[in-house]
Amino acid sequence: MDNIGVFLQIIFWGLYAGCIYILLATGLNLIFGVMKTVNFAHGEFLMIGAYITATIFFLTGINPYFIILLSMLALIGIGAVVERFCFRPILGTGKLNEIFLSIGLIYIFQNGAAMIWSDEWQSVKSPYNGITIPVGSLSVPLDYILIMVFTAAILCGLYLFLTKTTIGMQMRATSQNRKGAMLVGINVERIDIISFGMGCSLAAAAGTLWVVSGQIFNPYMGSIPAIKAFAIIILGGLGSIPGAIIGGLLMGLAENGAAFLLGGIWKDAISFVILIIVLVVRPTGLFGEKGE
Amino acid sequence: MHIRRDEMAKYGIIATLALALVLPFLSDSMFILNLLVLMLIFIIFASAWNLLAYSGQGSLGHAAFFGIGAYGSTLIAAKSGLSPFITIFLGAAVAAFIGILIGLTCVRLKEWFLAMVTFGFAIIVQTLTVSVLAPVTGGWDGIASTRLLSPAIPGYQLIEYYAVLAITIASIVAIWYIMKSRVGLAFLAIRENELEARAAGIDPVRYRLLAFALSAYLAGVAGALEIHHIGYLTPELYGVDNSFWPITYVILGGLGTLAGPIVGTVVLTVIWEALKATGLTFGRYVIIGIMLILAIIFLPRGLVSLPEQVQEWLKRRKRKEPPSEPAKD
Repeated sequence: MDNIGVFLQIIFWGLYAGCIYILLATGLNLIFGVMKTVNFAHGEFLMIGAYITATIFFLTGINPYFIILLSMLALIGIGAVVERFCFRPILGTGKLNEIFLSIGLIYIFQNGAAMIWSDEWQSVKSPYNGITIPVGSLSVPLDYILIMVFTAAILCGLYLFLTKTTIGMQMRATSQNRKGAMLVGINVERIDIISFGMGCSLAAAAGTLWVVSGQIFNPYMGSIPAIKAFAIIILGGLGSIPGAIIGGLLMGLAENGAAFLLGGIWKDAISFVILIIVLVVRPTGLFGEKGE
Repeated sequence: MHIRRDEMAKYGIIATLALALVLPFLSDSMFILNLLVLMLIFIIFASAWNLLAYSGQGSLGHAAFFGIGAYGSTLIAAKSGLSPFITIFLGAAVAAFIGILIGLTCVRLKEWFLAMVTFGFAIIVQTLTVSVLAPVTGGWDGIASTRLLSPAIPGYQLIEYYAVLAITIASIVAIWYIMKSRVGLAFLAIRENELEARAAGIDPVRYRLLAFALSAYLAGVAGALEIHHIGYLTPELYGVDNSFWPITYVILGGLGTLAGPIVGTVVLTVIWEALKATGLTFGRYVIIGIMLILAIIFLPRGLVSLPEQVQEWLKRRKRKEPPSEPAKD
């Protein structure tokens, strides 16, 4: 293949990886915006979402693209339980506590999943596996295009939810000014639980898309993407959803470019190199207005 | 009340020391002796992490310093032929130096940002170890490390135990001394209120860097000790597990206290081995995770505050008083 072909290939892989990061980072940002909490265990919800989709697919054989909704619904429930019983009791007791609590959650979810599903690598074959569509000089798997369409659809849905529905507007109000939201009669604890659940369901969507693309998964798969998603929201600015989208795409492109230029081993490390450079040069992120 | 608590602490220290000295003679099992050595090493590691947290900085990547100390000491020992007992401290110095470098990028960052950078730093170091530095470090396969004592020496395990015990005690005394000194007070001042600390003439950047260097140094000592004890090292040393264990120990034992890391490490090691005996594999981590979350919510000052909590609870019950909010330290 010529150089331009390789270049396009990298861009396509980057876009596809970017989609998964965008969904994760948007979920984290939603939670952060409303609760000012960062859940380091966010990747574990991606993993649970992936396993729920895979399990339903193995049992029933339904097209995994349809299972995404079930998986997202299930994760709203799990997220709500985690918020109510883990994060709410420590809300406002210091940011370090949230990090430590996330470590506990990581232990529980990873190894709980390993108990249920074993810790072996698994994979799912999408019904569209092997179908490719010619785009310019290269052929792109149909799955990758579907994943991008799904990501765009979910983000549009989220946008409409946040701008048109009452709960969505209440969420935005809470994230702008928590006390003010309480004063105008918004039940902020209810908004917390809804935001957390929605953030988790976005992670479940990311997990489902991960699975249908044919990538292998195991109970420990979630940590690295989640930490990268965290790097992305720092890159894009905390609480900024457009920042998360652009940051996610940049991250996907950067790590695939780095894997090509420096070797696959650098795929994970490069995102942190970028993160550290961004934090040193511009601590508020590329699109953020104020940070710490 | 204060005198009594002081006395209690004194007897506690004496009893712990006496127990640590005679413990190897209570059982002649090599397995238990080995476990005790590893436990002591992790007490140093957890205390090192705790010292950094004492200055208000929570690191999620302390495995990096643990690993750098181990690699540094092993490579220096291999190239120079020095005894591991000397290279341990040289390797740790390398870790401290890198600690200052990473501290320089972190000094203005707090909480999640700091956590992220330190976590990422461990991954970057691991990547460097298996890629660019692979010719020296052996890549993923790892390299052999000089044993602390040659197995040819009779009773070498016992000598090793006492050597590690001595280093552990020295580390803890050093941390105690730091915490009590002006430096420790400065750490506390920065943790509680950076603006006020600065108003009082404390330079936060300098003290943050100092905390990083000290903590990285001790973590490096722990890493070097473990690797010279085992005799082999691989890049797995930089893994997330090694970064999370000291945090778990300290949170359960009591964050920011001298005894916290010791109590946490001992209690968790015993629980961990007991759970292992019941045949649990993944379940062990689930139980530790649940314990960690329960401790954060219900026992935020850790196991070391348990006697106090129980005393207070009993007093309240006697007086039938409505429960008061526990005062924040």
